Amino acid sequence: MDIEQKIDLLEEISGSNHTWPIISAKYGVENPLPPWKTSLDGLCDALDRSCSDEEESSLSFKQRRDEEDVLSATRYANLPYPENQLVSLAHSLLSRGMISKEELGDRLVAIRARLEA
Amino acid sequence: MSEHHHDHDHDHDHEKTVKPMVDEITEFEVLEIALRELCIEKGIFTAEQHRIYTEFAEQIGPTPGAKLVAKAWLDPEFKKLALTDPIEACLQVGVDWLNPTGSGTISDFHALQILEDSPTVHHVIVCCLCSCYPRPLLGNSPEWYRSPNYRRRIVRWPRPVLAEFGLEIPDNVEVRIEDSNQKHRFMVMPIRPEGTEGWSEDQLAEIVTRDCMIGVALPKPGVTTNVKTKTIPAIRPVGS
Repeated sequence: MDIEQKIDLLEEISGSNHTWPIISAKYGVENPLPPWKTSLDGLCDALDRSCSDEEESSLSFKQRRDEEDVLSATRYANLPYPENQLVSLAHSLLSRGMISKEELGDRLVAIRARLEA
Repeated sequence: MSEHHHDHDHDHDHEKTVKPMVDEITEFEVLEIALRELCIEKGIFTAEQHRIYTEFAEQIGPTPGAKLVAKAWLDPEFKKLALTDPIEACLQVGVDWLNPTGSGTISDFHALQILEDSPTVHHVIVCCLCSCYPRPLLGNSPEWYRSPNYRRRIVRWPRPVLAEFGLEIPDNVEVRIEDSNQKHRFMVMPIRPEGTEGWSEDQLAEIVTRDCMIGVALPKPGVTTNVKTKTIPAIRPVGS
């Protein structure tokens, strides 16, 4: 598995100008971190706990953090923290096939429609 | 609120009572929800587990650690307990290491050690492997603590890296770097500074900042905020 392989869907997201420093400045919001950060922390903890006893196909805590370090310094070096943490996690899950690109693509569209309804 | 008219008397300014909000749905917000929902649907974890861990992430911070240090500075018996049985001492500041989330430990945590600084030894904590950190006591780790750059360099060149945080350790003081891991966490207990004689526990706790308990700063009367440092990207990232 080449962890640094390009994933078009994530390239689009990481290329958007929706990072928190830009968005918070645009709206004059003072919070240093985006509101989804604690939910991402919860997601990582739940994932680490779930994968800690499983076989190779899952994403171990160490793999998750190692890949985040590599991807944050390379493919997603344009992103600030914690956007790089989030997109790297998505990259790791997609690379392992734990989530497919198609289902993620569909879900992104469905969620946006739901939030904008 | 540019045209806000009302005829009642009061002395507050409405324009200042409403904090600005983001009126836009970001790609990252949507991505976080999508990953979470798909993991839940695939049975990787449950929505309840996610909620419990998110609640944990929202309520933690450096206050219990600061309280523990301040209490230890004032009470020699408590200090002895903190150094010999830190898990028990943490219970007295409201942290149950064996069940911090109400749903078991976060990882396979086994041991906590509180590192007492002395006039001849200064401690600093790191996690070379990833970013293990005493979260129940100190909250979430700062961004720089997670960076490969800090992790790699603090163990090799501790004094120059501490100097980047504005902390100059005299040559006659030994610097010890403790490497954390999933099973073993550390926290620094700094020396009580001069000029704090007669202070209450709350007053003392205010100057025990997160950085003091990591070891990249020393407590000082009047200083209650953490150091701002720039995270430098890794030149040779892990795995490259």
